[in-house]
Amino acid sequence: MDVIGIDIFGIVSFLFNIFKSNMLNIPLLKPLIDFLMGIPILNLIVALVLWRPFFGVVILPGLTGLMLYLLWIVYFERKLAARVQWRVGPIEVARPLRGAIQALADGIRYFFQEVIVHREAHTPYFVQLPILSFIPILLPLAFIPAGAVVGIRTPYALPLTVAFISLIPIFVIAIGWASNSRFAFIGSMREAFMYFAYEIPFVLAAISMVYVYGSGDLYVAVEKQTIPGILLNPLAFIVYLIVMLMATSRLPFEIPEADQEIAFGPFVEYSGILFGLVMVLAYEKLYLMSLLFVILFLGGWSGVEIPLLGDLVAPLVLFIKAVVVISILVIVRAVYARYRLDQAIRFGWSNLFGLSVASLIFGIMVGWLM
Amino acid sequence: MEDRFIKFLHSGKLAPIKKWGTYWSLWPVHLVTACCGVELAHTFAAGYDGERIGALNYGIARQTNLIIVEGAITRKMAKILRVTWEQMPDPKFVIVMGACGLKGGLFWNGYNLVKPSDVVPVDFYIPGCPPTPEALLRGIRQLQDKIKSGEAKTSVEFTEKDLGVGKPIKIVPKPKKVSKTATIVVDVPRKVDERTKEIAKKIEDSIKNIKVIAVSKNRVAVNVEKEKMKEVAASLKSLGFDHVKNVNVIDVINEQKFIVEYHLGSYSTKDLMPIILNLYTSISRDDPKLKSLSDIFPSADYMEREMHEFFGVFFEGNPHMGSRFLLAPDSPEFPLRKDFKLEEEVYLR
Repeated sequence: MDVIGIDIFGIVSFLFNIFKSNMLNIPLLKPLIDFLMGIPILNLIVALVLWRPFFGVVILPGLTGLMLYLLWIVYFERKLAARVQWRVGPIEVARPLRGAIQALADGIRYFFQEVIVHREAHTPYFVQLPILSFIPILLPLAFIPAGAVVGIRTPYALPLTVAFISLIPIFVIAIGWASNSRFAFIGSMREAFMYFAYEIPFVLAAISMVYVYGSGDLYVAVEKQTIPGILLNPLAFIVYLIVMLMATSRLPFEIPEADQEIAFGPFVEYSGILFGLVMVLAYEKLYLMSLLFVILFLGGWSGVEIPLLGDLVAPLVLFIKAVVVISILVIVRAVYARYRLDQAIRFGWSNLFGLSVASLIFGIMVGWLM
Repeated sequence: MEDRFIKFLHSGKLAPIKKWGTYWSLWPVHLVTACCGVELAHTFAAGYDGERIGALNYGIARQTNLIIVEGAITRKMAKILRVTWEQMPDPKFVIVMGACGLKGGLFWNGYNLVKPSDVVPVDFYIPGCPPTPEALLRGIRQLQDKIKSGEAKTSVEFTEKDLGVGKPIKIVPKPKKVSKTATIVVDVPRKVDERTKEIAKKIEDSIKNIKVIAVSKNRVAVNVEKEKMKEVAASLKSLGFDHVKNVNVIDVINEQKFIVEYHLGSYSTKDLMPIILNLYTSISRDDPKLKSLSDIFPSADYMEREMHEFFGVFFEGNPHMGSRFLLAPDSPEFPLRKDFKLEEEVYLR
């Protein structure tokens, strides 16, 4: 099979050997996998899917997990808010599932709607930025480990993840700038102000956990959590929890997107599938931050042992823990009213900043004791 | 043109998916101009919960696909309705709620009213004044059915039955004679207290040769000639009346004249504070021109412009004469004159 001087068969078998050498070990599915590995072309696909870096980035807790989570959380948030307000929430679509695929219906409707690019917009950036903003969403997924499943294993996983998460607001501000509308301008200004208010406490809380565990490696962090991190540094836990609300525009701090005041702020001009992409940006950020939250404070993937599932347990446990954390977190949307911008910034720069400095000192002390 | 969105949803190999997605995800943006907005709020609140059928009430036009028009659409709101509709991405639908949007309702022959169907293509009307939340939900369900089947149907069909017995329905005939003259006299003498009389006397002393009448308690009237109006107003200002409360025009069609009234008041002189002085004059209906008082009393400016639009009285000296201020650019001229032609009553059957 020698086409234009390149040995395709050789390359394929070389890749196949790479995939095969580092596959997930799942005792329950072993007979099935062994059977599939015997079939010529299918075995390459199976080997690729079960290849640990690929599985971590694309299946769980990566892209597929992210999509499943998005379908779940949009529905669950609407349902929860409805229950708090004595309503039923989405129920009639797929009645046996009690409306569980409402987000799918909305997504399909958005997909087939017209995408309006208004005359004042900076057209290339306006269209490209929602798609480009997937870069800082997907890159951290390569560094977040789940047991044996990890994209790229590095001792600098925590700083890298924090750095990529901090990159997302830049895209939001750029989206507001490219929209070139007054509401979008106000929204991106608010986003910029909020960014400075929550980013420093966020970084300080993360650094304090580095001091507690003595390393930026997330494996070390999980190994050292014989006592969960929430007890090792409760101050950092509180700071991180509030920062999670602030950074993802949850309701007490839903200031950049305030839809009653400035009509979704930076995203006001988007319609159709582009709005679908920018609307889930905050949810995706929440997913990343809560994965990190679970690893740093709630023991990560440890705690559950199912020998039959082998390596699949760790990503499953991490994913379920993260989704449960977010599902508890979304109730604040139905409960709290919105802060003013100046109130939120004052809170961020005074109380939250002070608390994060205290958590840093506390973390250094705990790390020294350990 | 109306059905191009339905045609889009029904065409192509992906038609079932398109139809399903749009069917379960009609997000209404609401253009509320009247009381129907309250019923819409009920529809999406605890009791009825429109979100059950996937309709999420949304505030922003760009991200929605359904607009619910609640209430009467005036000439000025028509522009806003059109702009809102054009902001929405295709495919989009329109539901009109209430009697005002359907036929005009309370305002059915108003000079400033527009039918929503003249502005945007309407998919469904929901009759009622106001319609109940059940009716609105039924309207949304009908729209869902239209998306699914491709044809619009009424939700209720009334069959017409001939009763056979009884009197035939009597149609009210048009009145044969309409009197051109005003017949009711409202000039009843009222009680006047001593203090008002005193003040009227004082005013009469300061402005010479003009009669000042104390009409009732704290109400004083001054009738002047058209030419003397400005002079009297200046002397009244020097007396202590410092602002115009209201400018009013009465169309007396049988005498072919307009009566123009200025209600003056005072914020600075303590004795005059409770007094409202009515300075009025009459001008010819054929050539309605009057010297503006807006340079003496700046607060008269806006009211003069308003009266200019409604009655066509030309206030000489007011810099804004001839331009539209309150009315929409396309509304008819002088709508409050008594000979203004309104839409006539029509009886069906």
